[in-house]
Amino acid sequence: MSRANQPDSDDDDDEDDYMKMTFADAPATTMPETSLQRRQREKREAEIRGRVKSKAELAAEEEAKRETALSKSLLADPAVAKKSKGLAMMAKMGFTGGALGSKDSAHTARTEPIKIFVKDGREGIGLESERKRKLREAAEAAGEAAKKVKVDESEYRERMRREREEARHEKQLHAAQKVAEMMDEEKGIAPSVVAHDTAEKQSPPPPPPPGDQDKTTGEATSVDKKRPSSSRPLKSIPVIYRGLVRSREEAERNRRMRHDLEQSSSSGGGGLLARLPTFEDPEEDADDRKALGKTAAITYVTADDLDDEDEELNAFSALDAAEKLRHVVLYLREKHKYCFWCKFAYLDAEMDGCPGVEEEDHD
Amino acid sequence: MSDSPDHTKGVKRSSSMEDDGNGTKDSKRVKTNGKAKMDNYNPYLAHQYEDSQNDFQSPLDALERHKTTVKQASKAEDSDLNPWTNQPHSQQYFKILQTRRDLPVQKQRQEFLDMYHSSQILVFVGETGSGKTTQIPQYVLYDELPHKTGKLIACTQPRRVAAMSVAQRVANELDVELGEEVGYSIRFENKTGPKTLLKYMTDGQLLREAMHDHEMSRYSCIILDEAHERTLATDILMALLKQIADRRKDLKIIVMSATLDAQKFQTYFFGAPLLAVPGRTHPVEIFYTPEPERDYVEASVRTVLQIHATEPEGDILLFLTGEEEIEDACRRINLEVDDMIRESDAGPMKVYPLYGTLPPAQQQRIFDKAPEPLRKGGRPGRKCIVATNIAETSLTIDGIVYVVDPGFSKQKIYNPRSRVESLLVSPISKASAQQRAGRAGRTRPGKCFRLYTEKAFKKELIEQTYPEILRSNLANTVLELKKLGVEDLVHFDLMDPPAPETMMRALEELNYLACLDDDGELTRLGSLASEFPLDPALAVMLISSPEFYCSNEMLSITSLLSVPQIFVRPNNARKRADEMKQQFAHPDGDHLTLLNAYHAFKGAEQSGQDAKQWCHEHFLSFRHLSSADNVRAQLRRIMETHDIELVSTPFQDKNYYTNIRRALLAGFFMQVAMRESSNSKVYKTVKDDQLVMIHPSTVVSSPYDWVVYNEFVLTTKQYVRTVTNIRPEWLLEIAPVYYDVDTFEKGEIKSALTRVTEKVKRRQTLKGNSGR
Repeated sequence: MSRANQPDSDDDDDEDDYMKMTFADAPATTMPETSLQRRQREKREAEIRGRVKSKAELAAEEEAKRETALSKSLLADPAVAKKSKGLAMMAKMGFTGGALGSKDSAHTARTEPIKIFVKDGREGIGLESERKRKLREAAEAAGEAAKKVKVDESEYRERMRREREEARHEKQLHAAQKVAEMMDEEKGIAPSVVAHDTAEKQSPPPPPPPGDQDKTTGEATSVDKKRPSSSRPLKSIPVIYRGLVRSREEAERNRRMRHDLEQSSSSGGGGLLARLPTFEDPEEDADDRKALGKTAAITYVTADDLDDEDEELNAFSALDAAEKLRHVVLYLREKHKYCFWCKFAYLDAEMDGCPGVEEEDHD
Repeated sequence: MSDSPDHTKGVKRSSSMEDDGNGTKDSKRVKTNGKAKMDNYNPYLAHQYEDSQNDFQSPLDALERHKTTVKQASKAEDSDLNPWTNQPHSQQYFKILQTRRDLPVQKQRQEFLDMYHSSQILVFVGETGSGKTTQIPQYVLYDELPHKTGKLIACTQPRRVAAMSVAQRVANELDVELGEEVGYSIRFENKTGPKTLLKYMTDGQLLREAMHDHEMSRYSCIILDEAHERTLATDILMALLKQIADRRKDLKIIVMSATLDAQKFQTYFFGAPLLAVPGRTHPVEIFYTPEPERDYVEASVRTVLQIHATEPEGDILLFLTGEEEIEDACRRINLEVDDMIRESDAGPMKVYPLYGTLPPAQQQRIFDKAPEPLRKGGRPGRKCIVATNIAETSLTIDGIVYVVDPGFSKQKIYNPRSRVESLLVSPISKASAQQRAGRAGRTRPGKCFRLYTEKAFKKELIEQTYPEILRSNLANTVLELKKLGVEDLVHFDLMDPPAPETMMRALEELNYLACLDDDGELTRLGSLASEFPLDPALAVMLISSPEFYCSNEMLSITSLLSVPQIFVRPNNARKRADEMKQQFAHPDGDHLTLLNAYHAFKGAEQSGQDAKQWCHEHFLSFRHLSSADNVRAQLRRIMETHDIELVSTPFQDKNYYTNIRRALLAGFFMQVAMRESSNSKVYKTVKDDQLVMIHPSTVVSSPYDWVVYNEFVLTTKQYVRTVTNIRPEWLLEIAPVYYDVDTFEKGEIKSALTRVTEKVKRRQTLKGNSGR
């Protein structure tokens, strides 16, 4: 036994340098194994061996082994080179590295074997590189676009100009809408709405009387009072300034809600959040609520259809300011023979004397 | 035609042309000669001029070696008498002569002769169809006048089939019997005789001859044809001839190439002069695809159908990579064409596959005429040939107008690092693509459809296909070179020297096989092994087989491994074929199964059965079994020459098969794999540490722990093919140097071998103790 083991131990000493990288399975038989150790080792080995590898695993392992073998030059590996009798014979013939052949071909001759490419599948020539190229180009294009935004000064100016123009149009639009509303009001188109709106605008709700109880009831009554007016259909208002009315209504609602909030917060207890009208304290039962006067649901209904979707308005809002303005201007001319630019109401439909529909015409 | 009034007399004289050579018996040939040599005539020596006493006048008498002109040669060719046989020329001869005179090379015959006379080495470039392969050797024949010098003209071909068919053609052209004045010599087949003057041969065969005749002294002129193909043997021959040319100034060398990159040949051969002959080709329009193809087979089928539907008359040649792919494409095209005929009144189309392993009769069908229109006045029919790259250069098919080129071919590749030699589908080279396109312009202007983009053509294809020497295991070559007397392999002047690692592996393998000693000198075994036209491993196996008492059997197995697969497995009868194969199966492995099949074949033959029919019934290839039989006879002769005993273990002996299995290892001990683990199908090759599976074609069903394999193939997976079960103890016993455990890297194989070593030692000690 011991004699048989001898070469193995020598071998280990010799090759220690190159062996460090390889895994140390199969313990060297230099140290006699105890039966326990052996059993354990065998069990461990059996476990490793016993596991059936999946096809993909095998393929990957096979390829990895192949690639390792293919990428490793036999000449560069001192362990192989030293042992190789083939290389020794070549050295004897005068090989000192580099390529084979005569001096004439030395610069063109190969020093490396031809690489192996395993092609699976039936992709045509150039498909793989085309795929890579497209990816690269897409990445490059994205990078370039990002650069362009930063660099292009004229585009920046253009954008600023557009924004200013937009803002100016917005202002003009607002003015035109107001004019249209006012003139409609004078003419009596959608009288109820306009009348109420104007009334509401002109007379903000009276300051609520002091005291929680009073306030609530007061609010409730005030809401009650307004109910008929708030149920007037927004949609009856001409779309060109419906947005204006709507935003005014919304602003009104917010104002009143804020007002309620401010009122209640001053009365303490629970802080601001707890006083939100929709706030429900989980500790309150029905009696508590009754006691607190919360039974009557506090509802803020400025306009029933404020929360409704208004497609007509949405479509109008989607237009850009200049276009909206044009619509309003045309509306005024048509309905009121009024030119927004001349600031003059003409007598006849021909609007004789007005240079045209556009602002430029009036320069 | 002849100006010789008495040529009929010459007919009588049918033998001993050599005597014409001494030129002193020309007394009565004043007319043909133009100049009298009367003064040389000595009536007292008349008995020596026996032949000339017959008033014989050969049309060749006027010719002087290396001084001939086209005029003289043509005159001889035109004569009624065949100068090589002294028989009258047949009618057929003159008919062929007319077509020969129309070949493009004929126009430059004088130019060729002038150059040939003035230079020892000549590079000749002629595109396919120029007639160079058939004509140039004949021009040389009429100039070298080998019957006078006794030295032959050799013309090498890379392929056996080409050597055979060209020799046959040239024999017809010269109006001689094949195997007489014109012959061929290929591995395992020699069809030449004592009268042979012009010999077509494979390049490998010339190399083998050179092993015994280092100066190639039998030849006065050596023509290396198809040099552009850069086969291993042609490359070695070029390097050898470069050396020999220096020593033998009388030897003429012609290097013939079909492509115009001949400059490389010129430079290599000390700036040899170049003669280029334009081929008879028409312009070919080349089309590229705008986008790369996702599936080149599908794209080729589509392209073929498009051509059939829209292009005018003309046959189609489609290049694919291998048998399976070709059969698949043929099936798909056939199906679609049937639809096209039914639906859109397309013309008929015949589809023919063409690949190396196809039986010759089926290969021949590609020369059939395109089918007639289905009815009178209907759209014309065409044929479509779906071929591997054998149709690229070696075969000429007339009528091809459209070429479809997906840009791939199967190429042999060897890597010394993992020692795997495989056929892999790889992109072709630019030169190859041009060659393929050229096939469309043989009969009239044609079109070539490349199934890749122009950009891919320019950027992805390499310029030239790698020469074979860079893609091969060189063990055999190195052994041959050693035998050829090349001492310094490192500085051997090859046109493209291989990678040093390839050389290193080859030397190493030969050293392990004991063909080379540690100093790199040829051993006796090596010298003997080189006598066999086999790979060194096979040769060594055969030589050592008497030690295992089974040289008869190993001879059979070697022969069977030297021919293509004998088991036939047609697509439509796979199951039955497998069942039949199972009849011959030996549980221990494929080598033994091959042997069983061969024995059964011989048995059937001897019992008087129709062997062909028997093979057909048993799904065996009669053709390949017959050629194995032929190979066996050739090898047997070599064995007998070298006193290698032919012995067998009695079949009843329980060691009959064991001996064979052991004998396999004597040559193939470097091709052994060990199973990775007890329930795995994966094996690890010894020393190279590659993971492989046993090829599904095997008969081995129970997974053995150790196997010896005939080849390691890489397709998309790594396989070992033709395997037989062995025992690890045998390895230590038969190849102790290779299986010196100390030389193994740490790992499963090393530990397994260590265990085996111990077991063997224990057993020996036990025996020793009990013996005491």
